[in-house]
Amino acid sequence: MIRKTLATVGLVAAFGLAVPAPAAAQPQRGGTLIIGLEGEPGSLVAHLATDTAALMVASNMLSTLFTLNFDFEPVPDLAEKWTQSADGRTYTFQLVRNAKWHDGKPVTARDVEFTFNEVIAKVHPRAASWWPNVEYAKAIDDYTFEIKLKEPYAPFLTVLGYTLGSGTMMLPKHVYQGTDPKTNPANAAPIGSGPFKFKEWVKGSHVELVRNDAYYKPGKPYLDRIIVRFLPDAAARLLAFERGEVDFLHWYIVPHDRVKDLRKDPRFQIVEKGGEAAATNEYLLFNLRNQHLKDVRVRRAIAYALDRSVIQDISLFGEGKPARSFVNSGLRWIFEPSYDVYDGDAKKDLATANKLLDEAGFARGADGTRFSLRVFWASGRDYEGRAAEVIRDQLKQAGIDVKIQVFDRPTFIDRVFRQWDFDLANQLFTTGPDPTISVTPRYHTNQIKKQPFVNGMGYSNPALDKLFDAEFKIVDRKQRADMWRQIQKILMEDLPAVPLFEIPVVNAVSSKFKDVITDPQGYVQSREDAYMVK
Amino acid sequence: MQSRFLTYLFRRVLQAVPLLLLVVVITFLLVHAAPGDPVDVLSGQMETAPEYREQLRREFGLDRPLYVQLGRYVAKVTSLDLGYSLRYRVDVFDLIMSRLPATLLLMGTSLVLSSAIGILLGAFAARHPYSAADNAATLVALAGYSMPVFWLGQLLLLLFALNLGWFPTQGMASLRAPAEGWGRAFDIAHHLALPALTYSVYNLTLIFRLTRARMQETLAEDYITTARAKGVSEGAVVFRHALRNALLPVVTVIGLTFGFMLAGSVLTETVFAWPGLGRLMYEAIMARDYPILMGLFIFISSLVIVANVITDVIYALIDPRVVYK
Repeated sequence: MIRKTLATVGLVAAFGLAVPAPAAAQPQRGGTLIIGLEGEPGSLVAHLATDTAALMVASNMLSTLFTLNFDFEPVPDLAEKWTQSADGRTYTFQLVRNAKWHDGKPVTARDVEFTFNEVIAKVHPRAASWWPNVEYAKAIDDYTFEIKLKEPYAPFLTVLGYTLGSGTMMLPKHVYQGTDPKTNPANAAPIGSGPFKFKEWVKGSHVELVRNDAYYKPGKPYLDRIIVRFLPDAAARLLAFERGEVDFLHWYIVPHDRVKDLRKDPRFQIVEKGGEAAATNEYLLFNLRNQHLKDVRVRRAIAYALDRSVIQDISLFGEGKPARSFVNSGLRWIFEPSYDVYDGDAKKDLATANKLLDEAGFARGADGTRFSLRVFWASGRDYEGRAAEVIRDQLKQAGIDVKIQVFDRPTFIDRVFRQWDFDLANQLFTTGPDPTISVTPRYHTNQIKKQPFVNGMGYSNPALDKLFDAEFKIVDRKQRADMWRQIQKILMEDLPAVPLFEIPVVNAVSSKFKDVITDPQGYVQSREDAYMVK
Repeated sequence: MQSRFLTYLFRRVLQAVPLLLLVVVITFLLVHAAPGDPVDVLSGQMETAPEYREQLRREFGLDRPLYVQLGRYVAKVTSLDLGYSLRYRVDVFDLIMSRLPATLLLMGTSLVLSSAIGILLGAFAARHPYSAADNAATLVALAGYSMPVFWLGQLLLLLFALNLGWFPTQGMASLRAPAEGWGRAFDIAHHLALPALTYSVYNLTLIFRLTRARMQETLAEDYITTARAKGVSEGAVVFRHALRNALLPVVTVIGLTFGFMLAGSVLTETVFAWPGLGRLMYEAIMARDYPILMGLFIFISSLVIVANVITDVIYALIDPRVVYK
């Protein structure tokens, strides 16, 4: 039965369908959900950092205007209705009238206006990427809120719904007004309007949240308490999960080698959804300043020489699948795998690789080696280390000598994205929830900056830049999708990186709980739908 | 006598001041020399605008030349202000104090456990050198001495927590059903057992081996033979005559390990999710939270100096020949 349910879940995840869950028992009140996290957040709010740990706690206490469903369409939260003007520039939101802050005061459009203008616009790390396009954000009356853009921006609602990237969680004006939103004590003891209320934060140990009995969605939430524990050691964390000390580990911290065993164990369920908004691919980044790698023939040769099915199988213990494009298959409306010509018959591919490298003028030396490259990875994601080893073996066959170097993450970021002192690097990039947000910044010429997670490769193609600059102004989704297919085609030809594999979405949840994950941001979403079955 | 000791104590504390300053300067330079940028962690996992990063840098004074930052920091530290954490935006001293009890509990338990068992076993082994028991103990001690703490911790977790189910794996208390009063004390002790054991093994083996070696030497001394010839009971010979003399270097080593233990708590606390200073240090390193790191180094250095003074005092208590001038 459990296997069957899992298969259904897998199917839903694989096809991105918004199929309602199979008729389950009526959700019951009560119970404590214990969430295990790998690190402690710096604060418990969304406006200070784009920080998974902070969001996993904050989303339970703070409300959003709306959330996103698996088709990336808005689903009502504080906003019960909204309209978009014909020119695509003005968005008007009607707020629910029964929402209250945890201190009892009503939630109004003034709070929303304040949150946007005084907090997010001024403080959020990524506001500069979309806020400059906002003409105004204002309360029309107590329950109507309006945002007008200077130019149409197709991904706008997705940006607002993507709280991890935009920090758009509403804060009480009466608590933040006249204070510095960076140092307000409420950042460590939030007063929100969400399904759970803050109880305590024991530094180094856990955060405890309790049910908000005055929540504006009738009957919700179901759980009495949520406890988020900080468990830094990967092996011990999994032991705690297996012993039932923890009920939920999100997909970033579930070790892939244990997924098979956990699937077989009736005490646990592997939930294969909730990562669609991140839509994360692992890449082998090329430094295009390298004398060998600046030649596209060398980059293509490397793509041919690599067998990504083998890399994925070994790196992820059979979980996930090879990445076939520069966007993840979770973005069904644009994903196009047919430009991937590099992974056919392994023997033929190796011959093509050798031919390309000969043409590029890098003949084999006496020992069979053409040239040497370093591949960097950062400790923390073991699969990146395993991938590096497979890559070394596979490239050796094409006469490329690869040396593996591992760093701690801050050093890795410094070497790759700030010093540009690398040849090859294993790094994952999100590609969702909208490619304008997550794909464009990696490959646009104007993103060649000494900054983490942008175009550290030094890749530039003016034709591609033109597409990037045009696509986000197109409101018609079909037309936009066409442009994104062209973008993928160019990227697969130019290969500023090789997409290696898609990071599998495998959340580990105790079988005692249901509906812990219900949307594409499942790892950071609010747990208002979660309930205990016994 | 008393006043002489107090003068000595005063002098020791005075001597510690330049030492601490040196520690501050060196660690400051070392910490800042490590690659990586706290702004990366402060802004989160996604790319951010350079203006935003500059603003953060200005806010925390990270845009100033290093010597200016150092000067400011030293000035602050001399007025007993350890500054604010970049990440948590709270006072570093408060943060350290809030995490200290957990570490002291873990350290204290381990120190008492490893000293008591180590000394007793050492004395016993020296009394029966090269017996089967002595050889077995030496072998186990050697293994314990060379075993990495995090690995030992995970083995203990696998055996006692997962397979036998006797102990919880993570943290300091049960969160699902929190207990009160004595139940809470028992709950904490229950959680403490495995980390304390893990933490003790290295010290225990060190103390065991040292005590055994010193006891063997001492037991061969002429005054022991004399004592035995006088007909002093064997218990009195071992404990009053031999052990008291043999313990002097052991006490020194226990005092010295204090500093190592504080630093070593990083591994144990990480494996067992123990909410102490070691975890704080680990997280501060990963976040390049300079003020926390510096604060911890200063705090630990001060404690090591205090521990050394205390060691000297104990020395005087055990050995009447030691006189402080």
